[in-house]
Amino acid sequence: MVENGAPILTSANGSASSGVAVGRVLGTQAASPLSFWIGIEPGQAVQLDEVVITRRDVPGHGPVLMAGIVTTVEARHEGASFDSDVFLIAEGTLPAAVVECAEVRVTRVEPEVFVPPSPGAVVYRAQAADRDQALYFDVMDRRIPMGLGRDGHPMYVNFDFLDGTRGAHVSISGVSGVATKTSFATFLIYSIFNSGVLEAESANTKALIFSVKGEDLLFLDHPNARLDEAATNMYGRLGLPARPFHSVHVFAPPRPGDPNGVPHVSARTQGVSAFFWTLSEFCDEELLRFVFADADDERAQYSLLVGAVAARLQAWATPAGDGGAVVITVPGGGGVTCRTFADLVDHIADQLTDDGTRATWAGAQVPLGTVNAFLRRLRGAVRALAPIVRGELPSGRPHSISTSDAQVSIVDLHNLPERAQRFVVGVVLRGEFARKESSGTARPLLFVVLDELNKYAPREGDSPIKEILLDVAERGRSLGVILIGAQQTASEVERRIVANCAVRVAGRLDPAEASRPEYGWLPAISRERATIAKPGTMFVAQPEIPVPLAVTFPFPAWATRPSEAGPAPSTAARRTVADPFAGLPGADDDIPPF
Amino acid sequence: MSIAIGHGGFTVDAWDPGYSAALAADALAELGATSAELDLDVELPAADWRPVSPAPDAAPPAVMSIADGVRRIDARVWSHDAGVAPPSPGVAASYAAGIVRCAPGGAAPATLAAVEVRRSLFTASPYASDIKTTAGIYRVETAADDSMEGLSLALQQRLTELEVDLSVRARADDAGEDDLLLVDGPLRGRTHLPRTVGYIKTHHTAYLPGPQAAVVSALGPGQRTPVFLMGTSWRRHAWYVALPIRSAAPWAGVVRCESGADMKPDEAVRLADAVTLALPSLAGVDYKDPRAPQNLVPIGGLEKLLRHRLGDPRLLYRSLRAAADR
Repeated sequence: MVENGAPILTSANGSASSGVAVGRVLGTQAASPLSFWIGIEPGQAVQLDEVVITRRDVPGHGPVLMAGIVTTVEARHEGASFDSDVFLIAEGTLPAAVVECAEVRVTRVEPEVFVPPSPGAVVYRAQAADRDQALYFDVMDRRIPMGLGRDGHPMYVNFDFLDGTRGAHVSISGVSGVATKTSFATFLIYSIFNSGVLEAESANTKALIFSVKGEDLLFLDHPNARLDEAATNMYGRLGLPARPFHSVHVFAPPRPGDPNGVPHVSARTQGVSAFFWTLSEFCDEELLRFVFADADDERAQYSLLVGAVAARLQAWATPAGDGGAVVITVPGGGGVTCRTFADLVDHIADQLTDDGTRATWAGAQVPLGTVNAFLRRLRGAVRALAPIVRGELPSGRPHSISTSDAQVSIVDLHNLPERAQRFVVGVVLRGEFARKESSGTARPLLFVVLDELNKYAPREGDSPIKEILLDVAERGRSLGVILIGAQQTASEVERRIVANCAVRVAGRLDPAEASRPEYGWLPAISRERATIAKPGTMFVAQPEIPVPLAVTFPFPAWATRPSEAGPAPSTAARRTVADPFAGLPGADDDIPPF
Repeated sequence: MSIAIGHGGFTVDAWDPGYSAALAADALAELGATSAELDLDVELPAADWRPVSPAPDAAPPAVMSIADGVRRIDARVWSHDAGVAPPSPGVAASYAAGIVRCAPGGAAPATLAAVEVRRSLFTASPYASDIKTTAGIYRVETAADDSMEGLSLALQQRLTELEVDLSVRARADDAGEDDLLLVDGPLRGRTHLPRTVGYIKTHHTAYLPGPQAAVVSALGPGQRTPVFLMGTSWRRHAWYVALPIRSAAPWAGVVRCESGADMKPDEAVRLADAVTLALPSLAGVDYKDPRAPQNLVPIGGLEKLLRHRLGDPRLLYRSLRAAADR
């Protein structure tokens, strides 16, 4: 670790470690310890996000380094008093000077003597050690490259704020399509796995990615055929290898109507397995609660009833055979075998509508209207959940989502209706959270990538999923479950979740959304810029650095669609028969937004 | 009001420096020029005088250098040597001269080719010494008499000297280049400089006799009078040029140009044509500059830059007061 302030001592007058003088501190605008303006020297140019430094000798403290990031650049004619003077100046009639100035937001004062820079002081473009110091990279023991800055040098995020040491969780916001939220989340995971910060744990640290949009994430372990030399160089500058993820397993729901429960994935055949829950698990683990995972379900009268029925199912259902079917035996009555989710729902409906049995299931006081509302909702879930809650499939096949199979587990939800998506996310998260809780140790870490967080943890209302996500946000840090949440609109996500995210990221933002207070961490100028941010450009705020850093992350080294996919990796080939069609261009041939 | 009296010291007058010093500098410069001898037949016989449009083969100069100077009285001071003589009035003034190079219609921006700022204390008192202030040093310049007019004249003379000095130096630097030096005001000591034209905005004296003066009134925009010779102890070629202006008043927008007398008449006519072609494009507009169109845009810009270089008047005034207290 670099000793704080060490570069100051080695560079007299700031000339040794920082190269080019770009300008001088302005005296016509008040300079303060937190921000100041600089006049740009003719022939020099600075752009937004550039890192600059200046020094001042303070009596009693020695040289004080003031480093900051350029947040505004302006150019104007000096000596012109009318707008039309621009033509006179341009045609060479009126003498005037073009002056460029830039506002610098101070990121670091070292040592911490908060004095303003002296007007007239030379400002240098920060390089090498000065840049590291300005951006606190020198005090980051463990840092993760997250992309290149405007100057073409790597920008880092402090891993202490990702792994729970000092903070955890990432919140990524941006409009759909151009903000490249998922790509950034994937790159971040890749960077964590490959940058070496995990050391011995790197093999056991896992990622669980819920994929809600198409099959883009199914090729993480395929090299990207469109990766060119420039992109490879970018990885090189970041100190990362340009290669796909080496260990990926995809979980997909069973194909509807398929008697064998074949995974419903068209683009990938290797390293894929179907996931579903047996009826027996459904009853035993009280998964009924996750069928009612809408925000309005919690407000409805029947939430009590949901708990009661789930408890009855747990108590009275016993496995029938190996396929996961259950026999529900009401005390004092006969057993009924349910082989499909529809069977189970029908049976519950029968029992609840029957006056004789209703009290046994629901208790005496439940009004009929509540029961009917519950049943209406339950029946509505049959179509969505029947493919993933099964009792008739052949036994002995692994069918549960587990992060132990591979380093990156992808849960493909895009074929499922929204209710089923909620169910899967809720149940899987609960399972993984419980597993981490019982293991008693935070390490190795589990990263959970969840897009459309506003759907699972909306600001208004309550739901079992939101409860789990809140649990993850608030306790996950100590349990080693790190949430990387993405959403179009952070303003619609539960405030406590966003508040718990140590690292905040914004891609292209909708102008109306950018003006919401949830983006207060973005300075006004960055907010404006976020509305025109190009795909691949993100603003990343981390607790140590007082201004968000604009970074450009590299083009994925892994395929994001079938057309880009290079040859399948050997790890996937080991599991199943090699796919003779792997690598052929698919139908999904449009250009990714890079 | 006196502030402090010390040996060989001075006092800053609390009156506003501009007060009663308003005798026009240009008027001072023109003094003594009233009884000019004229030779009207240089270009056209006096009887044939008519408005002249530049010859078809005439071209405006590619590059124009324009010289001008500004002056400002920073404070009125009283110099005194305690007990020896009554305090003697003086003015502490800042003055600057500069040259701007512009290529009208070209792509190159107008640039400040030379600039020099001086600060002086003008006084008739023999006891005065340089005033060292935190903002600058005021060197003593002796004036002929201690009336306000005398002091102001001394200031104007120094400024003119500075302008002449700067023009001569600029001409020496870029000798041989095909450019034209336009000097704001009479040529004075610069008549020997090649391709140099004096530019007089205001007319204190009607030099021309009646019939020829009527030609001036008849000038259309971009036209000039024939070239004539004028002067007694100093002789110059001169001609009047009408600049584009909306006012229909006679002599509105008319300026007088003058060049050295020792050039050949056809040379003077070519120079007059070139200047007449160049000037209209540089004319200012009245809503931007009250002295438009005679105050050319580059001159306006140069004066603004020079005034800026004179420094902040309040700061200088305060520094003079502070220096007087020491």
